[in-house]
Amino acid sequence: MSSARCTRCVLSSSFPGLTFDGEGVCSFCRGELMLTSEESAVEHARRQVEQLFAVRTRPYDAVLCNSGGKDSSYTLKLAVEKYGLRVLSFTLDNGFISPKAFENIRCVVDALGVDHLTVRPSMQILRRIFKAAALLPIYRDKTLTRISAGCNACISIVNTTGLRLALEKSAPFILAGFTLGQIPANAIVYRNNFRFLAESREESLGRLRAAVGREVDEYYGIGDSLLDRAGPSPHNVNLLCLERVTDEEIVQAVQVLGWQRPKDVDGCSSNCQLNTFNNHVHQRRFGYSPYELELSHLIRKGLMSREEALEKIADQPLEQLAAIASRLELSPPERVALWIPPGRPPA
Amino acid sequence: MPQHEDAHAASQIDEVRSALLAFVTRSFMVNEADIDRDRSLIDQGVIDSFGLVEITAFIFQQFAVEVREEDMTREAFGSLNKMARFVARRMREHA
Ligand SMILES: [Zn+2]
Repeated sequence: MSSARCTRCVLSSSFPGLTFDGEGVCSFCRGELMLTSEESAVEHARRQVEQLFAVRTRPYDAVLCNSGGKDSSYTLKLAVEKYGLRVLSFTLDNGFISPKAFENIRCVVDALGVDHLTVRPSMQILRRIFKAAALLPIYRDKTLTRISAGCNACISIVNTTGLRLALEKSAPFILAGFTLGQIPANAIVYRNNFRFLAESREESLGRLRAAVGREVDEYYGIGDSLLDRAGPSPHNVNLLCLERVTDEEIVQAVQVLGWQRPKDVDGCSSNCQLNTFNNHVHQRRFGYSPYELELSHLIRKGLMSREEALEKIADQPLEQLAAIASRLELSPPERVALWIPPGRPPA
Repeated sequence: MPQHEDAHAASQIDEVRSALLAFVTRSFMVNEADIDRDRSLIDQGVIDSFGLVEITAFIFQQFAVEVREEDMTREAFGSLNKMARFVARRMREHA
């Protein structure tokens, strides 16, 4: 496996469709195009938020997908303190969320006085889903240039859960803690037609259903009866993109609420220990990290140094793999197929 | 529809399709040859839901066609060819 990377960003030579010039600069760095002027998109989003938030809803204005990371915590602070929204915060407990992240969530929601839900799907089913995502071609290779299969399987459940809660509670907004760099500037405030998205993902869901069982529909689908009585789709709003604030300032602001930096997750995740496993499988299968695209984008926008990005990619506690494999109940042949060293049998 | 209008519509669809194709290949790092124009871009893995937001923003900037939530259907957005026909039809309706 080649470990050559673009000399400007961190994309690996094994990243699909990439070419390099004489100086080792990748085609994406040479020719990246700016879609919209970012400033005008942010301004537009700011006006939209002002208009949309003028109307208040009971019992909740918004549902927040709360990972427990610093960005979700800061987004919750903004929603409550700056915008005065009534927020229902929720966390999807996939069985691998770090204990520290849960502590942080409790501190922050308590400090801000918001309702919080932890949604924990059946671990038996989640295990089958994560195993299928790691072992079988559930998602297209092109999808997997942006995200690992395991994270994609999990994030889709988070998104569906957020939407279901928003529809059930008639909350008009779904908040998430994405920053510019993670999402395009014109996706600060947006709305998607859920039925269309669901139809568009029917193929991969079909493969997952075949591997795991019909139960997956409970986690990846919104029942027709709920969709039929629901009004228009909620708006997705990423409030953090409207702020000019550094990472350090965010950390300081949430530390006041009792948030502490977790030490039990890898460099690319602020809350999930399964991330290490997903990254490992992706790296071995494709020869590049699923975070390269996002980190490279941040470098090109001047939001992160190349050194910092390389550090994040390298910060993988691989010694945890055997323990994660045990918790996923991987068989010896499955471990071999996923390049996981045989672990000590659980005590 | 008279024949010359038919031809006009067809060339307009072609024009929109090329612009969309150029936008998609540049923005989402994918080669033209790898895009199936009759299949959903989401299903092919070319775009995710954010990509869909970017395409609708591009359609608005480039063709002044506003895509509303209810426009996002399999019929209108289920493939690159369908998007091109949808945008061209909207442009004619508002011409
Ligand atoms: Zn590069």
